[in-house]
Amino acid sequence: MNIVVCCKAVPGLVTDLEVGADGTSLRYQGQLLAINECDEYALEEALDLKRKHGGQITAISMGNIKALDILYYALAKGADKAVRVDCETHDPRVASTVLAAALRKLDFDLVLTGTQSRDTLGGQVGIATANLLQMPFSYAVVAVEVCENNTVKARKELGGGRYADIELMFPALLCVQTGIQPLTFVPPARRIRARQQPVVSLSLADLGLQAEQLAPRGYRFVGIRPPEHMHQIELLEGSPQEIAIALLKRIQKSL
Amino acid sequence: MARDILVLVEHSDGELDSIGSQLLAIGSRLSREMKTKLVAAAIGYQMENVVNALRCHPIDRVLVVDNPDLSLAGAEVQAHVFAEMARQIDPGLVLMGYSLVGMELAPAVASKLGVNALTNCVNLEVRDHALTVTRPVFDGTMHAEIALEENGTTVVALQKGSPIATIPSAKQAVVQTIPIDVNSIPSRSRVLQIIEEARGDVDLGKAELIVAVGRGIGDKDKIRFTAELAEALGGVLACSRPVVDVGWMPRECQVGASGKSVAPKVYVACGISGAIQHLAGMRDSKRIIAINKDRNAPIFQVAHIGVVGDLFEIIPALTKAAQASRTR
Repeated sequence: MNIVVCCKAVPGLVTDLEVGADGTSLRYQGQLLAINECDEYALEEALDLKRKHGGQITAISMGNIKALDILYYALAKGADKAVRVDCETHDPRVASTVLAAALRKLDFDLVLTGTQSRDTLGGQVGIATANLLQMPFSYAVVAVEVCENNTVKARKELGGGRYADIELMFPALLCVQTGIQPLTFVPPARRIRARQQPVVSLSLADLGLQAEQLAPRGYRFVGIRPPEHMHQIELLEGSPQEIAIALLKRIQKSL
Repeated sequence: MARDILVLVEHSDGELDSIGSQLLAIGSRLSREMKTKLVAAAIGYQMENVVNALRCHPIDRVLVVDNPDLSLAGAEVQAHVFAEMARQIDPGLVLMGYSLVGMELAPAVASKLGVNALTNCVNLEVRDHALTVTRPVFDGTMHAEIALEENGTTVVALQKGSPIATIPSAKQAVVQTIPIDVNSIPSRSRVLQIIEEARGDVDLGKAELIVAVGRGIGDKDKIRFTAELAEALGGVLACSRPVVDVGWMPRECQVGASGKSVAPKVYVACGISGAIQHLAGMRDSKRIIAINKDRNAPIFQVAHIGVVGDLFEIIPALTKAAQASRTR
């Protein structure tokens, strides 16, 4: 069984986040990219399925040359191949068009990815890609079981402690939740060795896509700002003992 | 006149979900401001009660697909049906909830229609003659404002917010059943069963005081500090998702969109950054106290009382104070 894991490179440790002078962009310190957390869980699930059923894992990421770091990380974790699509976009419609074109070039039974990326918090690209490729999909998956007859059983969250078990025919796409498998530690030596493995690079031309197909349209950013507080917040200061006494007084008053 | 607003309604056991009423209230406000029609679409099986519930809202038209094949239909089929209903009225705006159902359907419906979806939105209003959404980015530490172009169709998925009162209206919705051959919709997936999670020993929904612990606690062994605090305050211990994901606490203690929704008199969030999914499950608490070392953590957006500081200094001091107050 061959699995593709879609992982997004997102800003790692970000400090001094502030709104840029144009009012519609963000500036921050910390240029290192990290694998998006729930995509890392998707990778762990893929590794677990490979241990049980064999096959190959291909990690794919879209982005500039900096996205290579997370692909090397995926290789160090146990992915067999890595593909970088040379495309930078924050638009889900564009991203899913490009990702679907790239997946058409790969051989797979199952595509795993996370539920949403920590930077754009959209949670769209996986499902939109599945729709473009006419693949069945499930979102917020907390358990995966490969069955006979080229099907997979996924347990997905419905919220409020309810779940649904879905049977999907191969090829299928699953957006997995955090916590589906424990995250494993990768020794630094393996991470260094992984950097010697090849990563396939696909350009938009390789995918037969034109730049004009890939322009976001239909909306424009008018501003970005820190969120407003829902209510007036009272910030308590002082020694831990002083804070504790002030807190206790307010807790008792509220009960 | 602008094109119609279509609200895709979620329901369970014959009743509208609370987010459905919220969307209809917002849709109704927008339809007045934009001088456009409000249309609701609902799909399922044995829909009489849902249709009657929709009649109480100020809607111009209700579109219904009522079909036994929809009682256990998967997301592929539901998205297909909703997209087909949207095509029939060519709306300017498709409004749905950002529930776990909406999270799965919104991108699928938008992709089938070949239009944009803006998900995870916290606000939708007309500003400078343009529909403008607000949505969180960067773990919720920032909010982006995005204006929609007038000519297109956009799917907007809104987070559940505080309940909005429905303005009574004399409008009498025209109910229209849409014939769609659900059985012939291509589908490569099916729902096998729906599972309700077994209730734990503790009913979080009934607790008056909840002490909730987040990833900021750093270590499984240190959870006992918060357990002691919960006990000293006479409350119940709960947690955010990351604490469950790493196996420090059981799933039934999880507060948030995928876990329990709670609204106690007092909610003490210890080392919880405040991911949107967590806020969705606790922001209706009467008094929210947040203790966190990062003053930019989104939990402070919903908190009434905040302490920026070290958990391991504040929590033991508060436990001690609570214990002392009890013995007095």
